[in-house]
Amino acid sequence: MNDIPKIGVFLCECGEKIKPLVDLPALEKNLTSEADIEYCETLPYPCLAPGLNHIISKVREKKLNRLVVAGCEGRLILKKFETALESEGFEKGQIDVINLRGHVAAVSDISAEKKAEKGAKLIKAAVAEMGALIPSISAKISIDNPPIIVGGGVASFAAAMELSRQGIDSLLSLGETDTELILNNLYKYFPGERRNYGRLEKLIKGVKDSPQVEIIPRGDLVDFSGITGNYTVSFAVPEETGTLKYKAGAVIACLDGELSTPGPESGYDGTTILCQTDFEEIICTSEIPNGQTVFWLNDYETGQEESVHLSARSAWVMGKQIMQNSPKAKVVILYNEQMPLPLSTFERAEARKLGLQWIPYDKSVQPVLQSGYISFGSINDHLEHELPWDRVVLSPARKIDKKALEVAKVLGFAHGENEFFYAHHARVRPEMVGREEISFAGSARCFCNLETALSQGKKAGKKNAELVKKAKDGRLFSPRFVSVVDPDKCVGCGQCQELCDCNAISVIEGEDSGVLPRVVDPMVCTGGGTCVAACPYQAITLQNSTTQQREARVISLAKQMDGDEFIAFACSWSGLPAADNAGIRGLKYDHKNHILGVRCLGLIDPSVMAMAFLKGTPGLLLVGCVPEDCHHSFGVDHTWSRVNLMKKLFSLSGFNRQRIALAHADLNNSEEFVRTVENFSKVLATLGPIEKTPENQARLQSIYRLVKYNSRIRLLLSSGLRRPWETTYKGEQQYALAYDRDDFSEALKEEFLKARLEEIFIAEKRPFSTAELADILSEASVREQLDELAAEGIISLSYQEGRPFYKSIN
Amino acid sequence: MIKFNINDTEVEVEPGCTVLEAARQYGFDIPTLCHHEAVAPSGACRLCMVELKEGDWSKLVASCIYPVAEGINIYTETERIQNVRKWLFEMLLAKCPASTEIKEMASKYGVNVTRFPVENPDEECMLCGLCTRVCEEIVGLSAISLVDRGVYKKVGSPFAQPTDICVACGCCVTICPTGAMRSRIEAVRRTPAVTLTPLAL
Repeated sequence: MNDIPKIGVFLCECGEKIKPLVDLPALEKNLTSEADIEYCETLPYPCLAPGLNHIISKVREKKLNRLVVAGCEGRLILKKFETALESEGFEKGQIDVINLRGHVAAVSDISAEKKAEKGAKLIKAAVAEMGALIPSISAKISIDNPPIIVGGGVASFAAAMELSRQGIDSLLSLGETDTELILNNLYKYFPGERRNYGRLEKLIKGVKDSPQVEIIPRGDLVDFSGITGNYTVSFAVPEETGTLKYKAGAVIACLDGELSTPGPESGYDGTTILCQTDFEEIICTSEIPNGQTVFWLNDYETGQEESVHLSARSAWVMGKQIMQNSPKAKVVILYNEQMPLPLSTFERAEARKLGLQWIPYDKSVQPVLQSGYISFGSINDHLEHELPWDRVVLSPARKIDKKALEVAKVLGFAHGENEFFYAHHARVRPEMVGREEISFAGSARCFCNLETALSQGKKAGKKNAELVKKAKDGRLFSPRFVSVVDPDKCVGCGQCQELCDCNAISVIEGEDSGVLPRVVDPMVCTGGGTCVAACPYQAITLQNSTTQQREARVISLAKQMDGDEFIAFACSWSGLPAADNAGIRGLKYDHKNHILGVRCLGLIDPSVMAMAFLKGTPGLLLVGCVPEDCHHSFGVDHTWSRVNLMKKLFSLSGFNRQRIALAHADLNNSEEFVRTVENFSKVLATLGPIEKTPENQARLQSIYRLVKYNSRIRLLLSSGLRRPWETTYKGEQQYALAYDRDDFSEALKEEFLKARLEEIFIAEKRPFSTAELADILSEASVREQLDELAAEGIISLSYQEGRPFYKSIN
Repeated sequence: MIKFNINDTEVEVEPGCTVLEAARQYGFDIPTLCHHEAVAPSGACRLCMVELKEGDWSKLVASCIYPVAEGINIYTETERIQNVRKWLFEMLLAKCPASTEIKEMASKYGVNVTRFPVENPDEECMLCGLCTRVCEEIVGLSAISLVDRGVYKKVGSPFAQPTDICVACGCCVTICPTGAMRSRIEAVRRTPAVTLTPLAL
């Protein structure tokens, strides 16, 4: 794509929806006179085939390489333009859609001329953003290394088999390579599945015989780093120091959840009161015991109701085996009435024929185990019944294996305490992310039986085979909007890595310079962008949607602000849909807002907020998701902290804190959104615009300087942000006050004073005395800050008549 | 370029366009409900019916999916069309009496009452499938679809349960021409689990 932006603007008449409401000829005239706009035209329907064809012909004729379309909801229509203009070399990010209909035409009662003016402001801002766009190259991802399967779960075999079936080489790391030992230990994970062992044995043999699977004997997984296509996985070497490193193109984790015997509090003693896992050992390896066996499916009582059907199935398999092989034995399966019976009609008949009893018990009466008898409430007559037993078999306790936990820790999986792995990911459109998290299979992912575990493994193998094949054919590209780290600027503070909710940021392998620069995996990044705004040194940029672009947009818009008109940022998941829906429904609200859509509020750097005020907006509204609904995990929480920083700075510089506000919207509640905007506009109407005195401008300039360049404050701010894996964080109420008072506010005060001093030295190159500076800033003493500035080499100190004078060095 | 007539006015569009696209380009008003510019047309609601005359016979076609052809004569406001429109609006009013959007549109074309029995006075959805099309084509997910068939057809997620597939982008709500999705999306989207306590890194 050629670099000089040539921007075309197309206005939509949209039948009766825009044309009568907005003075389009005036708008077109206004925009045509704009120097940055190469071409502007009004079309009846730019989005329909004749309109699109016309746009394409104009793009060719005028050699346009950026487009702004003013019509309806970009969330819906943008894709159509992107698809149509793909052949002309337009990539994502080079077309922008302004919702002229939903944000301007339909939502207020002002005159058509006024609406045209408002539309012009929004369009010019979009044009400014387009002008600042540096189109990034679309990264082609290659995967030359084979996928590696780690974790040693039984699903690994299914995954390896699937990969080899598809003709892809893979590395398989196994803790145990002996087939017999694997099978013998399997009852610990999957009780009552012996009849499937034959099939599994075949599978294992197939994997071992496959020339495409390289089985690597391994110790424990100790380290994992890198990005898609180029992972480095290291294993500890048993009985040796040092590690064994493997290069892998993709990683599949197959982890099994462990079953353990219930604790003594449930009555478990290992002899007569047993667990399914050890009972299976008994009936399979030694004689089948006589007498009455009671299987008590106590999963509800132990709080594992998701797994009750698994326990029921294995109880059924074992019970059947006993009844078939020993005529003297009796089996009763006692289950909570809430459990749906996991038996087919045929199996029910079989149970009746064998005399195997399934007895449900009242869920509100807890069965009690006593010696020789178990009492339970019947659901038929609500009498307390008793069942005699010779042995009781309890459900196993299901939890995550210690080893699985360690592997997951190395891989960086999100994990809830006492919960099975929950592969967390931002909820975004499929096109916004290259691929899902590392493929994950096995019973550590969810309660499942052997069959499900194997099919999960197969699925993971299939997914990865697809990925590898795509990469081999050169069809694997990263999404257009991903974060990129500039390794020259990165100091390795690691804030981004901690804040990233996609697990996409890691340390570059093989750098031993003390600084550990980070790298973003473009196939995993969802483009939420909170890492961009959090970087203390601005080393990260979000491709095609950079902070510079947003700054350009707010500069253009803020400069055009008139009176108490204001800028509102809306996130594309909540604020923007709510605004769009308000427009669709024709809800009326104050026209003073100018809505700018962003992917997530989290990507708005505080410098963008500061810039908006510096260039003249009297207020800034940020409309995001309800906190627990944020699509990029904690983007809106992070924005709260950034807005809070701005509020503090406003207090320090004597502006009203209410000028900036964060709001939460729901896409389905446009009325609330309307109220939000109305109320904010009322607040601003009472405050009025910020007077453009040199004094005020100097203060705003200092705020901007501080939030953009002061890495101390930026680092302090970032380290206080909520991490995706944190349950307690500094912003939480119990820590909030202490953190705010002790750490943050003090530092902010100092740094702000410094920023103000710097501003003075930049504005005037003459020497200042301490007293004079203190007087200008109406502070008691500025000596300390001056010394710091002098130490940093920004100002120089000289003495005149015995009194110290400070002067800018540059 | 293909030349043909709409209401006896000669128009000219590229081949491959539909009659509706040509009519919109030249400013002829044709009401639509199930048509949205962002997604592929499906011809579900039949409101965009126009009359195609050739000699002394004529037929009715759905303009949103009828491709243009050389020399055809299209009429958008004949008596036959107006009659069909009235019937359609009456049927829509009976099918989705709760939708204000449909009421407004019908009264614009002079239909305020319906002669058909109203089965469900709270119904808003007319099953045009725009929501499912946008979910599939624009969002790329297919979290919702038209479930069941015939008179039992409705919009919903698999097994009528809230689903993880839905990313709650709200495109279906925005595109819905009758406002029915506003209540239906609540049964589809799910609040994500936020109890994340991964191991400390």
